[in-house]
Amino acid sequence: MSTENHDYKTRRAGPQTIITMPTEIDAANADQVRQALLSAASPDVTVLIIDMSGTIFCDSAGVHAIIAAYRQAAAAGTQLRLVTTSVLRIFQMTGADQLIPIYPTLDAAQAAHK
Amino acid sequence: MSEATGTASPAEAGGVEVTANVSRAELEDRLRGIQAITDAALSQLDDHALLAELLDRTRAILRTDTAAVLLLDFSAGELIATAAAGLEEEVRQGVRIPVGRGFAGRIAAEHQPVVLDHVDHTTVLNPILWEKGIRTLMGVPLIARGKVIGVLHVGSLTGREFTSDDVELLQLAADRAAAAVASLMAQEDRIAAEALQRSLLPSALPVPEGAEIAVRYVPGEGKVGGDWYDVFTLPTGQLGLVIGDVAGSGLAAAVIMGRMRSALRAYALQTTDPAEVLAGLDAKMQHFEPGAVATVAYAVFDPGLDRVRICSAGHYPPVIASPGQAAGLADVPPGLLIGAVPGVQRQVATVEISPGTLVCFYTDGLIERRGQPIDDGLERLCQAVTAQPPDAACAAVMTALVGSEPAQDDIALLTVRRSLPGGT
Repeated sequence: MSTENHDYKTRRAGPQTIITMPTEIDAANADQVRQALLSAASPDVTVLIIDMSGTIFCDSAGVHAIIAAYRQAAAAGTQLRLVTTSVLRIFQMTGADQLIPIYPTLDAAQAAHK
Repeated sequence: MSEATGTASPAEAGGVEVTANVSRAELEDRLRGIQAITDAALSQLDDHALLAELLDRTRAILRTDTAAVLLLDFSAGELIATAAAGLEEEVRQGVRIPVGRGFAGRIAAEHQPVVLDHVDHTTVLNPILWEKGIRTLMGVPLIARGKVIGVLHVGSLTGREFTSDDVELLQLAADRAAAAVASLMAQEDRIAAEALQRSLLPSALPVPEGAEIAVRYVPGEGKVGGDWYDVFTLPTGQLGLVIGDVAGSGLAAAVIMGRMRSALRAYALQTTDPAEVLAGLDAKMQHFEPGAVATVAYAVFDPGLDRVRICSAGHYPPVIASPGQAAGLADVPPGLLIGAVPGVQRQVATVEISPGTLVCFYTDGLIERRGQPIDDGLERLCQAVTAQPPDAACAAVMTALVGSEPAQDDIALLTVRRSLPGGT
């Protein structure tokens, strides 16, 4: 529910940018998530890692927001990767994992090739 | 308008120049005039009446000859003349100003007040303004929740100069107007969205041979989402069943939902392959509604309901309960959401249905609860669904999963049962 900017901390690691997602994502903050992802996906960012390792709840509204961001990020040439274990299931149920590769840890996401 | 400035302190009164500036007391008096507009107006006026009242007062308080409000049409990126005083032709002629161009367009683009002491075709896009004989103009943005929703401007036929105090007053009037207009627009949007959503859900369900159907639909508290369902018989005698959820809420989501519903019905008449129907729908949406995202499940039941073919675009799989057996999730491949990416290959699951078997479709609002893993919700749903007459099944599911708690999100629930031989 918290909508503070620190929920969307970003940090650069070479051509990769890591953006930290809030603890909970639902209809109340889904639009902010989408906006935060879009502003993080600038053309000079080759890979945007959506770090959801601290996210314990994400509903359909959250998945919709991430898919909407995916479209625009792809158009800007930014590849998305996602880190989660606790909310992995909803990405599988909605087929979103077919679109965005999902890794169990941030290290795995950063080390992944392609 | 202005009263005697008897309340001003000597120091303040001493600094007043009668010709150009106004006293602090008069400023405060003007401020109260502006505040009075919106406080009284909010409670009883629609947005057009509110704007008309606001413009009359603004014109009087700032002693100008014209006042006008242009509201931003977000999809077109244009300002549309919505209300005017002393400049009615601007509204009657439907003046549209692109954001970024001309006087009003610049205010909207830069989020800044603009004062023009020279009005002609080089400074102003709209010829009505200079043809009217307006010599000076002052305009400010209407900002609600950090976004520009329009522009308020006033003009003088005598070339009166606008001071920074005038700009400040106008911005104050604009801020109050913006808050009032935004809340009225939100209210109108919600009413329109609810009406639209109601009109799009089937008022009567078909009664196909050998099948019984029941539904529950509960709009979310506060704002209408984009959930919808549809049930229709096809010319082949098959039964088509749709359940979907458009991302977002309010009027925008309801409009998208209406378009998806119509498009899906059209494709359903062209082919009975659910994957082809969803592929057509996806292509249509990506071309005509880029940016829209939705989950949809489309199921085609054979006549007599002995078999169903289901294609899912990111939607939760239905729950299937056969007589005497525990219910479970149907094994439907989770295809990508509608609007995600072009040219998705979609798969169809075929499920045999024995007599008395119940198939239960639903939207996320039924099973998702803040702070709970979705598997918990799915598990509770599977426990609640049993092979019984659809209306009783819906009632049992709603009792188990919703109870008396208010729905945060829309909930749609649709159950179909293959009739038992010889009746119920």
